[in-house]
Amino acid sequence: MSDDNTHSHPHKEVQHERSPYASHVRAMEALLVEKGVLTEPEIQDRIAYMESRSPANGAMLVARAWTDPKFKQRLLSDAKSAARELGLDPTHEAELIVVENTPEVHNLIVCTLCSCYPRAVLGRPPDWYKSFEYRSRAVREPRAVMREFGFEPPEGVEVAVYDSTADVRYMVLPMRPPGTEGMDEEDLAALVTRDALIGVSVPRPTAPAS
Amino acid sequence: MSGPHDLGGSSGGPIDRSGHEVEDWERLADAINSALGSKGLQTTDQHRRAIESLPDYLELGYYERWAAATEKLLVEKGILSQAEIDEKAGEIERRWGGS
Repeated sequence: MSDDNTHSHPHKEVQHERSPYASHVRAMEALLVEKGVLTEPEIQDRIAYMESRSPANGAMLVARAWTDPKFKQRLLSDAKSAARELGLDPTHEAELIVVENTPEVHNLIVCTLCSCYPRAVLGRPPDWYKSFEYRSRAVREPRAVMREFGFEPPEGVEVAVYDSTADVRYMVLPMRPPGTEGMDEEDLAALVTRDALIGVSVPRPTAPAS
Repeated sequence: MSGPHDLGGSSGGPIDRSGHEVEDWERLADAINSALGSKGLQTTDQHRRAIESLPDYLELGYYERWAAATEKLLVEKGILSQAEIDEKAGEIERRWGGS
């Protein structure tokens, strides 16, 4: 049951050519501005804020934690204030908890109920994170899920799955890969992918040759 | 009681890892939602409750659920009426040359 390797896609969320909701969203925008409930700059600010978030922020936090043990402690004990130290603004984030991968435990993040994700740091979650398949299966068969992403923790490593909520969001602190001793923070950050921050993958020792 | 959103532990097929480019109306749905939150006109929990009670939850795309829920809350709270949203949306559709 755990390995369903058929290539069929039995259920996909419906994507319309142009969603009928597109006009409704535009209508809400127009009416809210017309009535003075919201202003256009307020709306544009929120768009700009979300566009400015990306997994690179998470990678920067991880690279600093790998090179500065004291920062790592602060990141694990109070992630939001650690993020502020690096100039990130997680004000609009709910509680943020960073969970550390170790040789004994590998962490995986999901939001079974919807799509909670550290958006104020990493931006919008990927589509697959919001898919019905990931949400349902990540807690039931996390190893099978990770295998689909081309990764599986070694046997004997415990897998801890964190189910995010509206009030608490999680990010993974992966282990620093071997062979990266001489690398500086910027190069280290380049190894940390979005998928590694969610836990469906891990940073690879060296960046692939181009 | 569990609703259609309560998916944790269910079985499911392979995960489709392809992404789609976020469309402008989706960015806007996100932004309106967030701006209403900042103004104290809507909370995350209210929005979630509205999403989870959508009768067509399983048929809608992700931001369609968001948009439908925001619309529902605005109407429930009396900030906008369903009639004026429908009318304005109709005008916009006509301008876009839709059927």
